[in-house]
Amino acid sequence: MATNEEIQKDLEKREYDAGFTTDIESDTLPPGLNEDVIRHISAKKNEPQWLLDWRLEAYRHWLTMEEPTWAAVDYTPTDYQSISYYSAPKPADSGPDSLDEVDPKLLETYDKLGIPLREQEFLAGVKNIAVDAVFDSVSVATTFKGKLKDAGVIFCPISEAVHDYPELVQKYLGSVVPQGDNFFAALNSAVFTDGSFVYIPKGVRCPMELSTYFRINALNTGQFERTLIIADEGSHVSYLEGCTAPMRDENQLHAAVVELVALDDAEIKYATVQNWYPGDENGVGGIYNFVTKRADCRGDRSKVSWTQVETGSAITWKYPSCILRGDDSVGKFFSVAVTTNCQQADTGTKMIHLGKNTKSTIISKGISAGRAQQSYRGLVRMGKNAENARNFTQCDSLLLGDKCGAHTFPYVEVKNATATLEHEATTSKIGEDQLFYCQQRGLSEEDAVNMIVNGFCKDVFDELPMEFAVEANRLMEVSLEGSVG
Amino acid sequence: MSVLAQTQQDALNLFEKIGLPTQRDEDWKYTDASRLKDLLESKVSGASVDIHNLGITELDAYRMVFINGVFTANESNLPQGISIESLATFETSNDNNEKELAKLFQVSSSDPLMNGFAAYNAATAKDGAAVCLKDNSKLDKPLYILHVSNQSHVIRHGLMLGKHAEAEVIEHFISLGEDKALSNATTAIILKDGARLEHSRIQQEGKSQSHVARVEVKQLANSSYTFHGVELGGILSRTDLVVDLHEQGASCSLNGLFVLGGRQHVDHHTRIDHTAPHCTSREHYRTVLDGRSHGVFNGKVMVHEGAIKTDSNMSNGNILLSKNAEIDTKPELEIYNDDVKCAHGATIGQLDDKQLFYLRSRGISAEAAQELLTFAFADEVLVAMSNQTVRSYVEKAAFAKLPHSDDLEGLLSE
Repeated sequence: MATNEEIQKDLEKREYDAGFTTDIESDTLPPGLNEDVIRHISAKKNEPQWLLDWRLEAYRHWLTMEEPTWAAVDYTPTDYQSISYYSAPKPADSGPDSLDEVDPKLLETYDKLGIPLREQEFLAGVKNIAVDAVFDSVSVATTFKGKLKDAGVIFCPISEAVHDYPELVQKYLGSVVPQGDNFFAALNSAVFTDGSFVYIPKGVRCPMELSTYFRINALNTGQFERTLIIADEGSHVSYLEGCTAPMRDENQLHAAVVELVALDDAEIKYATVQNWYPGDENGVGGIYNFVTKRADCRGDRSKVSWTQVETGSAITWKYPSCILRGDDSVGKFFSVAVTTNCQQADTGTKMIHLGKNTKSTIISKGISAGRAQQSYRGLVRMGKNAENARNFTQCDSLLLGDKCGAHTFPYVEVKNATATLEHEATTSKIGEDQLFYCQQRGLSEEDAVNMIVNGFCKDVFDELPMEFAVEANRLMEVSLEGSVG
Repeated sequence: MSVLAQTQQDALNLFEKIGLPTQRDEDWKYTDASRLKDLLESKVSGASVDIHNLGITELDAYRMVFINGVFTANESNLPQGISIESLATFETSNDNNEKELAKLFQVSSSDPLMNGFAAYNAATAKDGAAVCLKDNSKLDKPLYILHVSNQSHVIRHGLMLGKHAEAEVIEHFISLGEDKALSNATTAIILKDGARLEHSRIQQEGKSQSHVARVEVKQLANSSYTFHGVELGGILSRTDLVVDLHEQGASCSLNGLFVLGGRQHVDHHTRIDHTAPHCTSREHYRTVLDGRSHGVFNGKVMVHEGAIKTDSNMSNGNILLSKNAEIDTKPELEIYNDDVKCAHGATIGQLDDKQLFYLRSRGISAEAAQELLTFAFADEVLVAMSNQTVRSYVEKAAFAKLPHSDDLEGLLSE
């Protein structure tokens, strides 16, 4: 079918418009990983002894582990001794007190990316979102600190939180994703450099959307950020992360860990727009995105939702999960993943039902084009005590081109007779009848394809916060732009 | 060394290389085969077994009876002029066919779902049914293969249907005695252009018997294969069902029913390879689990590059009757092609409250209503069985496994 072929061509040609580099002097550790590097990172951050010990413990465990190979992705393994584990824009020893102290070049970078760091823009009513920007290994600026503080919300780089709120960090760090959880999580625990820390106190509804922007800039570095969000009883927070990186010929590693803790009646909405550099049309370069994201619905009636729009990265290995421990807790996962050219994605979710009356919903939409390979890999487990647990899963794949692949590996494990579970999956291409119908109603072929793809992703986009839904829609449209006619 | 002996030696080498599977193997994640290790070797002894009144006696069919894996001619009844015989005699009497036969013993580590049990089967099998249907021939009555055992044994059947040939084959497994033992059974099937086969496999062994099986089907153009797998007996039963839709227009339909209780563990791994365009596959599995039983279903459909216009559909429904039962299901799709229509669905749930209420409002007891609906749920898979005698035998046997079945027998027969 002509249309599909053209879309496919266009997807292949899709240019990466966040692919610039910023010429900024940075303080980078020489490549390599050993205990001294970890001590160095820890010293740079002026960390307390317990955290250094925690890192070293993770590192020693990591040494005993092997890189997992079960994912349906094929890539050249990373040489962990050839990357640098710390890179910070200079001067980074002391965090900037106000935006005036932030290097103007950095602000320019974020401007190019459309991240309004300057509060003026917020005041002018552009967006009402607090942003924490992470550049290579360190957090460079957090906006709206004042307003959030009034509400009692803590939103700051995790390196600051270690000093300012050590009891919170020590209590929760690693409580959802333990140091030795998996190969990449162990590596992250040993060398993580920065990330965001959020604490919403009891009964507080966070007054604005929180957002973190990650950017890899320096050459030969890996980015290892760690995000920790704690929603205390009855609180509510909505959080968004975005990611970009320059275009480079070699593969760069991004191994992040995100931990969410929801206590009684708390709700966390976590959305990701992942647009790391995907490599060129021949699969050269691009980011390896090996991420561990997990939420612990510890409290009764707590809720967590993961929403992700994945368009970037050469290799994606990512399974945002929910442990539904509290009774009546709810976990949701909404995902749109687009892979084109030689991108490979192995992504999905895990829903572990432990508490009574727990509910989970999984909606996963995959679009695969060119020579891309995409897999949904999910697990729904209902434990012995998860009375009346309920799950609904739907994973659909849209195929554009006869060289691409779409795979589904859903694991279902049920140990309770009162559980109810429904799982459905379909794989197909855009129906010629659907296209015909739209065109017959006077739509151009391009509009018709856009509409169908948008409709295909709608269930997920509806879950994004307003501003980002617009952004995600645009990202999809750019991907498909000029595909027909 | 003869061709067959050489092939068996290769299989033995493979077995020694790969060994028995463990739970670290992805395909054996949910099934612990370690306790079968000591049961692997077949024990051949002349123990006489009375098979009078065993099996589906009312079935009008050609019969082949294997006792502890050995063909028993005086209990069997075979048609004239059609090559159906015991593998043991086939090997010696038809030298020209030996090469063809040897093909059914070939195993390779790259075969889908290949494992130590299957390799061991190929390496050590001495007997089985060898069925060769000529082009355009039709077997006028079903072939009923009855397996009766009280010891560990290995058996390997080979079925070859020529162009446009048609047959119905029913394999039935029964065991006697209380000793722990293992049946290791493989059926290798080749369907040539336009051939049609309906193949039922009823596993009804005793409660200390374990069962490991492999069914391999290679389908040429426009052939059609229908499988009914019924799992009622045994303590641990694992079946690997591997279908290769090798040429255009081939179609397969795989149906499975597990009715389990006690500490039974049944695992079916199915793998359908769409290697050619315009092939169709349907798969329908249902399980009813009671007691501390454990059901495992893993259905994988692989659509290869170039297999355009593939149409594939899989559904898997499960009911847990007891709080200690467990089901693990994984319907997988691997697709390397865009011109396909593939879907799968899996459900786990309870009986519909409204339906229960309806039956109770008609004066049926809660137990009987539950029973009736469970039976109806299971029976939906059996609808696809074309042989009514086999179907009602299976229905009765499955029904007897449900709790409170006595109340209802009267109700159903009315």
